[in-house]
Amino acid sequence: MEEQSHLLPYARRADFKVARATELSGKDRRFFRFLEIAPGALSWLILIGIILASIYASFWAAYFIIAFSVYWVLKTVFLSYHVRHNWKRLKHHMELDWEQLVARFQYDHFYQLVVFPFYNEPKEVLEGTLEGLKESKYNPKRLIVVLAAEERAGEGAVEMAKEMQERYGSYFGHFLVTIHPDDIAGEIAGKGSNTHWALHQVKELVIDKHGIKYQDILTSIFDVDTIIYPDYFNCLIWHFLTTEKPYKSAFQPVPLFTNNLWEAPALSRVMAMSSTFWQMIMQERPDRSATFSSHSVSFQALYEIGYGQPNVVSEDSRIYWNLLLANNGDFDIVPLSYPIAMDATVAPTIWGTVKNIYKQHRRWTYGVENWCYIMYHFTKNKAIPLKKRLVIGFLQGEGYSSLVTNPIMLFILGWAPIFLGTREFHETVLSYELPIMVRNLLIIAMLGLVVSSIISLSLTPPRPDGHSRFRYVVMAVQWIMVPVTMIVFSAIPGLDAQTRLMLGRYMGFWVTPKRIK
Amino acid sequence: MPEEPQIIGLSKGHRLQFFWLLVVVFLVSLPVLIFYTTGYRLTFENDQTTIVTTGGVYVTTNDLEVDVYLDEEKVEKPRLFRSAYYIQNIETGIHRLVVQRPDLQTWVKELPVDPHIVIEASAFNMPAVPHIRPITEYLDGSGRPVYFTLASSSSLFPQATTTVLIVTATSTSARVFYDLNEEFIFVQSLFSTSSSESVFDRLRDQMERFRFSTTSATVSTTTDFEPVVENGNIRIEEQAGELYAVWYGPAQSIPYYFCVTERSSSSIAERYGTHVAAAIEKHTVSTTSPLLTNQDRLCRPEIKLDRKRMDVYFYDFFPGTADLVLLQLEDGLYVTEIDDRSWQNTQLLYPGANLQVALDSNSIFVKEQNRYFEIITEIEPN
Repeated sequence: MEEQSHLLPYARRADFKVARATELSGKDRRFFRFLEIAPGALSWLILIGIILASIYASFWAAYFIIAFSVYWVLKTVFLSYHVRHNWKRLKHHMELDWEQLVARFQYDHFYQLVVFPFYNEPKEVLEGTLEGLKESKYNPKRLIVVLAAEERAGEGAVEMAKEMQERYGSYFGHFLVTIHPDDIAGEIAGKGSNTHWALHQVKELVIDKHGIKYQDILTSIFDVDTIIYPDYFNCLIWHFLTTEKPYKSAFQPVPLFTNNLWEAPALSRVMAMSSTFWQMIMQERPDRSATFSSHSVSFQALYEIGYGQPNVVSEDSRIYWNLLLANNGDFDIVPLSYPIAMDATVAPTIWGTVKNIYKQHRRWTYGVENWCYIMYHFTKNKAIPLKKRLVIGFLQGEGYSSLVTNPIMLFILGWAPIFLGTREFHETVLSYELPIMVRNLLIIAMLGLVVSSIISLSLTPPRPDGHSRFRYVVMAVQWIMVPVTMIVFSAIPGLDAQTRLMLGRYMGFWVTPKRIK
Repeated sequence: MPEEPQIIGLSKGHRLQFFWLLVVVFLVSLPVLIFYTTGYRLTFENDQTTIVTTGGVYVTTNDLEVDVYLDEEKVEKPRLFRSAYYIQNIETGIHRLVVQRPDLQTWVKELPVDPHIVIEASAFNMPAVPHIRPITEYLDGSGRPVYFTLASSSSLFPQATTTVLIVTATSTSARVFYDLNEEFIFVQSLFSTSSSESVFDRLRDQMERFRFSTTSATVSTTTDFEPVVENGNIRIEEQAGELYAVWYGPAQSIPYYFCVTERSSSSIAERYGTHVAAAIEKHTVSTTSPLLTNQDRLCRPEIKLDRKRMDVYFYDFFPGTADLVLLQLEDGLYVTEIDDRSWQNTQLLYPGANLQVALDSNSIFVKEQNRYFEIITEIEPN
């Protein structure tokens, strides 16, 4: 039995780290199962409802579609406004000298713990990541680097980690290679369980051994392809030192999937930039967001919740919900508006890229499991203000529902009354004007893509030798693919993930292949 | 160097203000857009701003390069598809629709436009001068048709044009120089038995022999007479010396032109013509073929075809459509539409008193004075 005295009271509950309904019993199990069914059932109900309404209530379906199209235009305006503002902030933050900004503080006692969980990524990926870390302007002796290998990846992965330790170990304050056993009960194989093990190990083998205070460690859990910008840790510590509640905050950078952008196909670039834009929007709406992918948080906060969950797919966001619940709602996201560079999803072939992007987004959208988790615990943890519980529950639920249903409704079912409507409907001006009106509204909404195109070009790394200038033109016009990518790589994988959860066919962690040319 | 970043994140208050601004835009724009899409329009006539209700016309054409006029004004846009026009913002009342092209016959129809409703029509435009493709027994080395005649090639078909170059030879002994045309043998077989009787006479003969057929053959000719031809749920049949297009399908899928809608503001006769009103009247009281009522529509189960008071020698559906009928009358071969709202447009396809006609899938073949040819109904604009 794990020692629990260091945990926050709510984190000591037996069901604090519940991942699935099957781990519970009785009423709790039935309630959690209901929550697992609800998102998928709602999405299917909405989509089927639109079809049925188109057949049996064509006029109302048409009015709804017009209203929805107007909503979409305004939503585009709203989100574009957020992206544009965050873009300005991001550029500004990249121009600042954070080393100088943070100089007025006493921060020499702070350590930066950086955990890189990896599986079987190529050596070049690890080298690129550690080289990037070497370029950091933060005192390297205050960096604790953990390469978290998987036993199940085989000897090769462990040897590679040890080789990296030999090459880079002396440069940093501490360098630890951990090997996550593959037979720990109650875990699912993946980044979450590997990180969980690595944090336990680093506490025991480095932190406690050297008597480093937990409050003096900022923990960054990075995907292994994460290349930091030189001022990242200075920016991070500045935000840590200036935020109101540093130990009750998670710090979220903007992931730019640009490491291999020039080698990636247009489809991959659009998806990568779309993900970046979504995170930029979330930077301006921290009250609606959770941690995503690479992020940072104090070790003390992680220690108080037992380092997150080793049994979930979407561990990057789950860790935030663990922190929020354990702290009775008193935990925030602090947006850094500062980038970290990661890989866009690619494969040697286009079809392989399509499959990888689909699987990656299915894994991301499986984050709907977090909604079940927070809704379950919102009924248990009454210490969290009711309004906060209601707002978070609604916003997260709406987010997962709209992610799946909106693109399909807009680009496919929007035309349903025209094809499925009654004869009386087909004779009306409304029937003829509907496609024209929806088309025009979508064209207006697509103007938001112009903003996307401009911003994405400004975030694109310098053109490497061997790439034509014409590629810039392709990068500008690639955004016309968005209606297709929204359906194929957001809505459908989202519906796939929700349906799996609804049917109790729980997903495992799928490691996105990383490739750098 | 500033002590902290100069650009801060959007405040919650600022975001909320923007959010509520967009909510207001939504609430204001939505009713406007819904009213617009249902046909309401603002007019500024006579210095007065009023709201009027409009309807629309949806007209399909069988030719892509035609001009469409509504009330003598050319319709440029909108165009949903290249062969279909959706004309919007039309005020309530009777409107005249013209579809034309200089080298094609003109299609004209007057239709009643009702508020919020789009009325449909299907226009057709046959060549002003018949366009044919001669089919001869022999072809020259380049595949051109060969006629053994003393006449010039231009005098062979004085009433028609053709883009095919015709070769003439003065002596039949020259046959050895040409190739036998297999198509000719096939087309000739379509006309293997011939008759110059009108269909009504032949029908009477057949009735006397108690022979009756209810299905149409895939190949029909003036010689191989079938009294009833069918396309989908529409049949063309003779009744008491007249030809009718009769609907045999379910009421809910009856084509629009069988139906009329009643409005208190104007009578059916005013909206669709007296002949339509009379037909509606007839079927209202009929017990054998009553009106089919479908929601607010009154639908006749049959429409009489205009035979211009002439004998009919051949009839069938125009190839590839269930809305048009091919009629061979005393003075030539015609195409007429079943749609009789306002009137039936009838267009001459090929003039001639002694023609024989045969259809094969989508082709119309004619035999005139032992010469065979195919009638081409789609021609490129000049």
